[in-house]
Order: sequence, then structure tokens, then C-alpha cells
Amino acid sequence: MTPAMADHTRRLVGDMFRRQRRGVALTTGFWAMHQICEALVPVAIGVVIDQAVGTGSGAAMIWSLVGVFALFTALTMGWRSGFWFISKAGQEESHLLRMAVVRRLITGRGISTDRQTGELLSIATTDTQAASQFLELGSRAVAASVGLVVSVVVLLRIDWSLGIGLVVGVPVLVLALNALGPLVERRTSAQQQAIGESAATASDLLTGLRPLRGFGGVDEAARRYRTASRTSLRANVGAVRAGAAFIGVSTFTTSLLIAVVAALSGWFALRGRITIGELITIVGLAAFLTDPVLNLARCVLEYATVRASATRVAEIIWAPARTGSGTEPAVAGPLALDDVHTPGLDGVSFTVDPGELLGVATTEISAADAVTEVLAGTRVPQRGKVTLAGIPLADLDVASLHRALLVEPHTVDLFGETLREALRTSDDQDDAAMAAAMAAASTGDLVAGGRGLDHELLDHGVNLSGGQRQRLAVARALLADRPVMAFRDPTTAVDAVTEHAIAEGIREHRSGRATVLVTTSAPLLDRCDRVVFVHGGRVAATGGHRQLLELPAYADVVLR
Amino acid sequence: MTALLPVAGGRATAGAFGRKLRRYPGLGLAAVLSSAAASGAAVAVPILLGRLVDLVAAQGATRSLLAMAGWILAAGLAAAVLVGVSRALVAEWGARACADLREEVLDHALRMDAARLEAAGAGDVASRVTDDVERVTDATRLAAEVFAALVTVAITFAGFATLDWRIALAFLVVFPLYAISLRRFIPQAEARYAAERRAVAARTQSLLSTFTGARTVHAYGMEERQSARVDAASRGAVDARLHAVRGFLWFANVMNYAEALGLSAVLLTGFLLVRADATTVGEVTAAALLFHRLFGPLGLLLLTFNDVQSAGAALARLVGVAELHIPAPSGRAVARRPTDVVATAVRHHYPGGPAVLHDVSIEIPPGQSLAVVGASGAGKTTLAAILGGVFPATGGEVRLGGRPIGDLAPDELRRLVGVVTQEVHVFAGTLADDLRLAAPDATDDDLLAAVKLAGADAWVAALPAGLATRVGDGEHPLTASQAQQLALARIALVDPPVVILDEASAEAGSAGARQLEQASAALLQDRTAVVVAHRLTQAQSCDRIAVMADGRIVELGTPAELIAAGGAYATLWAAWHN
Repeated sequence: MTPAMADHTRRLVGDMFRRQRRGVALTTGFWAMHQICEALVPVAIGVVIDQAVGTGSGAAMIWSLVGVFALFTALTMGWRSGFWFISKAGQEESHLLRMAVVRRLITGRGISTDRQTGELLSIATTDTQAASQFLELGSRAVAASVGLVVSVVVLLRIDWSLGIGLVVGVPVLVLALNALGPLVERRTSAQQQAIGESAATASDLLTGLRPLRGFGGVDEAARRYRTASRTSLRANVGAVRAGAAFIGVSTFTTSLLIAVVAALSGWFALRGRITIGELITIVGLAAFLTDPVLNLARCVLEYATVRASATRVAEIIWAPARTGSGTEPAVAGPLALDDVHTPGLDGVSFTVDPGELLGVATTEISAADAVTEVLAGTRVPQRGKVTLAGIPLADLDVASLHRALLVEPHTVDLFGETLREALRTSDDQDDAAMAAAMAAASTGDLVAGGRGLDHELLDHGVNLSGGQRQRLAVARALLADRPVMAFRDPTTAVDAVTEHAIAEGIREHRSGRATVLVTTSAPLLDRCDRVVFVHGGRVAATGGHRQLLELPAYADVVLR
Repeated sequence: MTALLPVAGGRATAGAFGRKLRRYPGLGLAAVLSSAAASGAAVAVPILLGRLVDLVAAQGATRSLLAMAGWILAAGLAAAVLVGVSRALVAEWGARACADLREEVLDHALRMDAARLEAAGAGDVASRVTDDVERVTDATRLAAEVFAALVTVAITFAGFATLDWRIALAFLVVFPLYAISLRRFIPQAEARYAAERRAVAARTQSLLSTFTGARTVHAYGMEERQSARVDAASRGAVDARLHAVRGFLWFANVMNYAEALGLSAVLLTGFLLVRADATTVGEVTAAALLFHRLFGPLGLLLLTFNDVQSAGAALARLVGVAELHIPAPSGRAVARRPTDVVATAVRHHYPGGPAVLHDVSIEIPPGQSLAVVGASGAGKTTLAAILGGVFPATGGEVRLGGRPIGDLAPDELRRLVGVVTQEVHVFAGTLADDLRLAAPDATDDDLLAAVKLAGADAWVAALPAGLATRVGDGEHPLTASQAQQLALARIALVDPPVVILDEASAEAGSAGARQLEQASAALLQDRTAVVVAHRLTQAQSCDRIAVMADGRIVELGTPAELIAAGGAYATLWAAWHN
């Protein structure tokens, strides 16, 4: 782990405790109370045997029973309240961390990460959950220590030499157990890594399930997952064995503690230094002590897992942005490429003015990709710049830029559970505006069903055809109504008649505002005010579609 | 969410997991025996402590006291070794059973019938193979502790038998209390934890669609809106969890009072017996300490009950998928020969939806190609999917090479017909790994030949490490048309006599469509083919064209015939050419 990552993890954990300080404090208090009561149970047993069972006094026995129930009431109340407050704090915190991860991934242009979607999913679910357990660990460790302290105080009151022995002995034991920590941590993080990878394999295969079944790759896919799962199993068994060794060692050390305390106190009782009742209390306490000591040991064990998860969450939250954001507020104006060099473009310049519908036709796909990506700001040109109203995109504040300029991605992703939800990208869009945008994108057939805009969409809109999804995306973009907009091949999945209708719809709906169509579709290009033809990475010609048709290279690309 | 995947009932879940556990009888036996031995050794400690108290009360010799302390230490050492070994064995046993189960779940998820999968959505399946698998795997680590605690409790009970039987009897008062509260708690808990797992599945679905659609969220700058959606789903999971926890705390409370009652009964009986001179103070001490010794394992059982219930609910979801019926492969090798496709009166509607295909009949002779064109939503994709055996039609019949498509085992079906779907996916791993999903035994030369056929040889050669370049999610990015070419190359590797291409060139954008058209034309050579085409140039190159509207074939003929007829296709063609 790099120092920066360790630093981020510390900050993450610090923030967690600061935010949930109330819940953690209450839990620690209640659990400490519970530990004290637990420590008092053997004391109570000793007292009852000494004062009631040993003496045969009925009154003492009745008081003993009342005392036992009072003690258990306090005990169960302490534990339950603590558990409730820590569950609330832990769930709340894992929710906050999850949302922080989600926000980091979807704000601006996202982060630069080489993690797969499956891994990100596992970070947003499993790791946020595990990281929030830091809170519980903290409370548990403090409460266990309180239990230890109370036991030691009780022992000190009975016999100081035993008390002192524990004061020295227990920390030595816990520290000795700590030494095993690194072994367990190594195995645990190997296990988590393997689990994450096999989950990522599973979600990758499921995401591609339709194509996979189409080419009959199911057998091989199942075999691959089995391989990943076996790797994960091996790591799992390794971690389990390390954990078991740890538990074995801690069991032995606590047994040693009990045997020594029992021998010593028995010897003291034989010599008359303490009473039989006190002996019982001490023996009982020694047995009770096992719990807080083992509990502390287990906290050490879990710490490794929990910290590994917190580190992964911190890695996303503090990840560098994919491309930085500037600070200048974006205003609408001419959008221009100025001598842009990037793979696919070899010095391309053009401008779309307010109110203009500009077509960009390219012979190579790589050039179309390059134009789309530099406009979206996801790719930074090697040379040259892209400007909006004269200011380079890189200098503009991303949030305000996305309000001024929309580049609709070609891959359609729909959100929400109804048509209305899928269309809506801000709150100020009314049904009339929706109807206009949907009409422009020729999506009448979608609302023809009985439920209109409340038509239900399944997961990602899987119940729509490719063409329906594409038209819905166009409608969504038109509805968003940004001053400057760019589309990349928006009509590839629709038939020719509909394509003409959409081309007309886009032109009308966008009248008065700037629009770029990166496409080789003749119906779309035909309705553009001007077409820029990019050939061999350079602008070969600019003009009207019909005028450019004179160029054989252009005609070859757009005529079909 | 609409129709979810099945969730197994309690008995089926236990039975299925039991079968998985029984696959490792040796490991299981060793785990059970070592756990029992470990708990036995651990229970010996308080009994020996009771003896020590008796010894001191009887003013025994210091040497006997030391010997007793030695025994206590020996029992502790034995317990330590056995606890370590049993933990490792129990957890390994659970982990192996779990690994078998998750592999079976994914296997079934991959093979389950398509209609069910489509209705449930990828999110539900994904949440089962990730969240639920993890929950169950995590619980196997707890299983060792739970198992040890159960054995300790059982052996401690047995330990009572070594004491005065009347005190042991007194202790039994706790059982009715346990029984009553469990009977009340378990059904309620099952419902609450099942609700929690459903909420978690909804959360996964929301996260997954957000992460895969991040680019769109960025473009619209609608992180607030999308965060609010995820927030609602995540909140739902938090609330469901806390709801389950609240029920659990009621149960924990009752359990604690049961302990108090048991302890009181033991002490009171001891008190009465000692007063009647029927037993010794040492005996009562041992009983009380033994009982106290139960608090640890009982508390642990309580504490983990929450996780065990939750894991049980997750397990029920896994078993629900694992128990799905999946068609068995035939294992027969069929010789590759030209195959015709015949559809007779095919009708189809999606569950709960209107009819999308009405009595479609079509015949495609071996080696011929048919283009399907029409407005979007006309039923083209549905028809193509049914002809390719992606899912069965709700009515009518499809025959491939004379055999009804429903009679073909999955492996036979996929050797006969390859389908390129609208969706493309680049599988994570090297490019060669991606292609070998289709043909695991293909050599590098085979792969390169397929890549060349798909027209992708130039860019593949230009990749940093050629076929060994890592592609897919988070790796070297491929463009939409490159991904499409990969899809074609995979089919070329499978080499089926029938090919269904659903808008194979569409997603690339028109600049790439030309190349893709050439690639798909090469793939269609000498195969029976159905091509769903939006690009009419592609339709023109097919032997025949079927024009669809509202779930029916309205025109059918060669391209020249249809243009000459001046019908719907002629209109489309004019629009395309204009």
C-alpha cells in the first residue's frame, strides 16, 4: 500500500467515526455496561453460593434470585441497545460510503480506474459494508477492554497479587496474538481479491449472456467461472486455515491464563488467604476473562479484513478524475475544433455556430470516434484545442459545461422504470415538452399502448427493441434541450422511412440552436445547413450535402 | 421489479445444501469428530475447575492442587489444538460445498430458459451470483463457530449428567422457553430476511445499471438524479436490514431471560439440595459454572443467528436457481450439412403482453439468405430470435433441417445455428480468450483466420499485444464496430450451417457499416441465413427479402421483385436512396 493510500484509508475511517460518533459512543457505553454485567455474573454466582447455598439462608436465597434477574435485565438491555445503535450506525455509514462511491463514479466525467464493473459493484456493496464494520470493531474492542478492567478491579479487591498478575499478563497475551496478525491479513486479502475476481467473472459473463448464448459459448463460460471459483476456493481455504491457527493459539493462551489463576487462587484458599466463595469468584472470573480476551483477539483478526475493504473504498473515493475539470463557468456560444490532432484526426478545425445544424461525415470510424470523444471531453487532443464560446473545454467547469453542451453517447443506456422516468433528465420537464420531443424522435408507437408515458420499462429497457431504445435516447436528448448538442449516428437501428422522419424532427426541434450530427447517413446529412467531410484525418471539404455529393470520396461514404 | 427468479423453500434449501455437504463425507466426518473432541476438551475445563474448588474445600494437598492445575492446562492445550483443527475442517467443508453450489448456480443461470431470464432481468441473477454467494460464503466461516458452539452446548448438557441429576433436571426449564420463542421468531424472521435479500437485489440492479450507464449520466450531468435513484434503492436495503434486526433483538431479549431463569433454577435447586444435605457446595458450584460456561456459546449462537438467517435467505435464492430445470445436452456429434429453416404459423406474445407475431410462415432453403426489414417494433427481432432458437414461440412450429427446434438439445441447437444478437459484449480477458469462448480448442491460426474473415485482421495486428491484448471492461477499449466484428468472428469459429444476424451492422454507425457488411457477407457465404437489416444495401444482397409490419410478413420476394411491385419495400428503398 502506498503512503497516500494508507493516508486516505485513515481519513476514511476517521470520517466514519466522526459522522457516527453518537451511535458509536452509545454502543460503546451499552456494550461496556453489558461487559460489566457479564463480569459480575460469576461474581454473583460466587456470592450466591457463599451467602445463600453455603449458609442455607432462605432470605438470602430470595435476594439472590432478585439480584440475578436484575443483573440479567441490565445485561440484556445493554447488549440489545448496543446492537441496535451499532446496526443503525453501521448501515447508515455503509450507505453513505456506497453513495460516495457512486457519486465519485458518475460525477463529472468519472474517474480513471482499471477496475471492471463487477469489481466496482463489489466495492459499492461488499466493501462498503465491511468498511462500516470498523465502527463495530471499535465499540467491541473498547467494551471488551472495559470488561477486562472490571475483572481486574474485582480481582484486585480480593487479592492484589492476582490482580497485578492479570494487569501484566493479559496485555502480553493480546500483544502476542497480535504478532499473528500479518499472517492472517495476508491470507485474508488474498481471499478477498480472489472472491472479487470470481464475482467480476460472473457478472461479466452474465452481462454478455445474450450474445454468449447466441454463439453457444455457455459450456466454455461455465468452465471459466469454475476455474475462477476454484482459485477463490483455494484462497478461501488458505484464509480459513490461518484464522483457525489464530483461534487455536488464542484458545491455548487463555487456557494458560485460567490454569495459572486457578492454581494460584486455589493455593491462596488452601492457605486461608481467601475464602472459598472468593475462590469461586476468581475461578469464574478467570473463565469469563476468556471472552473479552478472545473478543479482542478476534477484533485483531477482523481488523485486517475490514481495513482491506476500507482501502478499496478509499481508492475509489480519492481516485483521480478521468479528465480534470476547469473552473470557468461555461456559456453557450460557437463550438469549435481548432487544429485538433489525436489518433484519427490529423489537424482538424471546424466551428458550429449558434442556430446551425452541422453534419460531420468521416470516411474512417476512428475519425468519427475521435470527433465524438473530443467533443464529449473524454479524450484530450494531443495538439490543438476544442473550445466553447472561445474557452477551451478543459478550462470549463464540468457541471456547467454539461448544462451548455450535450454529447449523446451512441451506446444507449436507459434509466428508470417508466418511459417518463427514462426521458426525464431534470425536474423542469413537463408532459407537453416530452410529447414534442417524442414526436420529433418518432416515438409515437411507444406511447400508443394503454399506459402512455407510464409504460413500464424492465431492467435497462430490455423489453424494447434496439430501434425503440435508440429513438427513446434521441427523444431524451432533444428534451434535455441544451444550447449546443452533438449526436453520433443516432439512427442506425431504425428503418429508412423513420430515419427521414427523425432527421426532419431533429432539424425542427433544434431550430435556433447549435447541433452537430456525426454520421454518414444521407437523410440526416441532407438536412444539415453545412457538412464537414473528414477524409484521411483532415477536412477534405465543407459545404451542403448535395454539393459535396460531387466529390466521389464523399458520395462513396454516404450513398449506399 | 416484475417476475423474479424462484426462491427455494426452507426444506428444499436445507436438502440441497445437505446434498452438497454430503459430497465430502471424509471431510465432514473429520470436521464433526474434531469439533466434538474440541468441545469435549473445552467442557472439561469448568468441570476440572469445580473439582479444584471441591479439593480446596476439602483442604487437599498442595500437590493434588498442582496436579489439578496441570490437568486444566492439559485440557486447555488439547482444546486449543482441536479447536484450531476443527475450525479449519468445518470451514473448509462449508467452503467446498459453497463453491460447488455457486458454480452450479452460475451454470444454471447461464443455461436457464431465456424467457424467464429476460423477465427477471440481469440484475437479479447478478445479485445472486455476487451478493448472495458472498453472504453464504461468509457464513461458512461463521459455520465453524456456530457448529463448535452447538457441539459445546450439546456436550455441556451431557456434562450435566456427570453432576447431581436433580440439578441437571432443574436446568431443563429453559427448553420450553427456547421452543416457544423460536416458534414465534423463525417464521417472522424468514419473511424479514427474505425481504432484505430482495431489497439487496434491487440495490444491485440499480448499481449495475448506473455503473454500466455511467457515460450517459456524465453526458447529461445528471448525477443528482441518478444518485437519488441509487439512494432510494440503497435506503430500501438499509431499512429492510434494520427491520430484520429489530425482530432479532426481541428474540435475543427472550433468550437472555431464559439464561437468567436457568441459572436461577440451578442455584435454587442447589440451595435446597445443600440445605437438605443431598449434595455438596462443590457440586452446585460446578453446575453453576458449567451453566455459566454455556453463556459464551449461547451468546455466540444468538449473535450469529442474525447472519445465519440472512445467509439462509441468500441460500434459498441460490438453491432456487440451482434447482431450476435445465435441458440436458445430447452429447451427440452431428455431421455438419446444409440445413433449411422452416417456420409454420409461428405466433408469439411476451408474458402478459399483446401478440407480437401473428401466424408467420416462412421457408428458407439450405444455403439461401433472407433479409427481414420493416419499422422498428414490427417483430423482426422476435422472429429472428425464434428462428435461432433463442426462445420458443408461444405457438406454431420451427424446423431446422427437418427437426422441430424444440426437440434439439442445447448443444445440437448451437452447432446448427449461430445467432449474432443486437447486443454486443466484449468479454473480459485477452482477445484470444474472448474468441475461444466460442471455440475452446481453436488454435491461434484458427483465431486469426476468423478475425480475417470478420475484416478485423488489420486492427487486431495493430493492438499492443495482438491476440494476447487484454480487452473488455476496464481494459483496452474496442469501438462498437470492432466489437461487432468480434461477434462475427466468434460465429465463424463455431461454423454453424445456419446463421441469424440481428442488426449486426447497426450499432457500428454507418461509417463502419460498410466494412461490417463485407464481413457479414463473407460469413453468410454457403450458409442458410436470416438477416435483420436496417441498412437496405445489406437487404439488397440477400436472396430474398421479407417485409414485416405489425407482426406479419406483408411482402416476400427477391429484391428486384419487391422494388418492381411498388409496395412497402419500394417505399423504403426510395426513402433509403433519396
